[in-house]
Amino acid sequence: MIEFSHVWKQYHKPDWALSDVSFAVAAGEMVFITGPSGSGKSTILRLMTRECPPTDGRILIEGMDIRRIPSAKIYVLRRTMGVVFQDFRLLAERRVFDNVAVPLRVLGLPSKDVKRKVFLALRMVGLHHRIWNTPAGLSYGEQQRVAIARAVVNNPRLLLADEPTGNLDPDLASEIIALFREINRQGTTVVICTHDREIVRKFAGRVLALREGRMRERGTAP
Amino acid sequence: MNGRKIGRAFRDAGGHLRRGKTRHAVSFAVLVLSFLMAGLFLSLSNNLRSRARILSRDVAVVVYLSPSATAAERRTIEDRVRLSPLVASVRTVTPEEAGDRFLKEFPDLRDVLENLGRNPLPASIEAILRDPAGPDAPIDRMIDGLRRLPGVEDIQFNRRWSDRVRALGRLSDAVGVVVGGLLILMSIAVVSGAVRLNILSRHEEISILHLVGATNGYIRGPFLLEGLILGVAGGTVAAGLVLLAARLFPLYLGHSLGALQDLIGFEPLSLLQAAGLVAGGGLAGLLGSLAALGRVFRS
Repeated sequence: MIEFSHVWKQYHKPDWALSDVSFAVAAGEMVFITGPSGSGKSTILRLMTRECPPTDGRILIEGMDIRRIPSAKIYVLRRTMGVVFQDFRLLAERRVFDNVAVPLRVLGLPSKDVKRKVFLALRMVGLHHRIWNTPAGLSYGEQQRVAIARAVVNNPRLLLADEPTGNLDPDLASEIIALFREINRQGTTVVICTHDREIVRKFAGRVLALREGRMRERGTAP
Repeated sequence: MNGRKIGRAFRDAGGHLRRGKTRHAVSFAVLVLSFLMAGLFLSLSNNLRSRARILSRDVAVVVYLSPSATAAERRTIEDRVRLSPLVASVRTVTPEEAGDRFLKEFPDLRDVLENLGRNPLPASIEAILRDPAGPDAPIDRMIDGLRRLPGVEDIQFNRRWSDRVRALGRLSDAVGVVVGGLLILMSIAVVSGAVRLNILSRHEEISILHLVGATNGYIRGPFLLEGLILGVAGGTVAAGLVLLAARLFPLYLGHSLGALQDLIGFEPLSLLQAAGLVAGGGLAGLLGSLAALGRVFRS
């Protein structure tokens, strides 16, 4: 599903954000990428979404070498994945429904299908009763659930999450990771970047540890 | 792009316009002003061209006779004119006929004529030319010959007037192009600024749209439409105001210009010219949006 092969990334000379990083994620896996702030976790996600290109090395997503995808066709890659951010990145002036509907409207789906899929996604995260609220009227945990609903509403094959529990208390964080686990059970490949090793310990899944841009350890949480 | 996507783009563009009311109102006002100026000069030029057409319809060499001219002198002049191969027909105008014609064309000046106590207008002989657009040299030679005859007070060749009026029309066109062009360039910059601010204020939404797989067209379409709608609306209002000016000018200001009313007046734009103003507005708005999108997305 995902293959990083000797990937290097440099934003500004002389520092390297990633140094010779190689790993692979199989379809249907749930993988945690851990490491302290600045270790390169977010860079890995930014490379996967092709927000930026690698300086060197090869990245394959579902067999596509993402460096070779022309800029005008990046949208094809991005439609196969959902992304969840630590700061949720919800549109404050839009209702929950409209926030979750964004990826479906981009696809140009009929309004009837949009309504049905949004309702199902919100029911999956337990927020179907908040459909007409604006994000400001929701708690942090609820806002993160809306962001997850938006990421999975078009049934992506790959779900990427950047510090999805960063702003949440431990109980809420566990609930959110349990939700990712449930999404993974339904067949979606899930990659979660987090600095919270406690949360990783609680949930079974492969762990890739980064430190100063290098892959230090690979293991499986109990 | 399917119908749903086009509908969505229009809805989004409407939303953009509602959200940035003040800056869009300024852009709209500048667009209207720019195209109004261009339209007014075009209308003025229409009027001058139409006057020139009327003048050239009746191109004649007019020989004004001296009040002291004898009957024999008049006959000689008339014969010389009539015998010229350049002349198609000859019309003699008595002072009374000239007075009647003057009062018909300038009824406001009746008092002036009456206060003089006498008719100051001379008798004349009007030579209608065979070829009104013919070369100047033979006509000038004929005029020089006539000028030397006794009893001739003055000679006017009214093709020169139509040429002058036509030149005024061209000048009006040129001024319209320069002034209107500069204002239109300014309006493109103002629209670009307004759209740019809108794009920047929606930066977060745009980054989310990119990440969920929106195409460039999906993201940029509403911003392009935003400029296009502003421009078309500005051009339409400007065309309407030019029409209004053409209707109201003779009623309120025209009379105060007296005889100059014929030259300084506005003639309604043709359908093609009005459509040109509307399309020009749309193009200016579109260029403004494109400039803004280019600048923001490049950076």
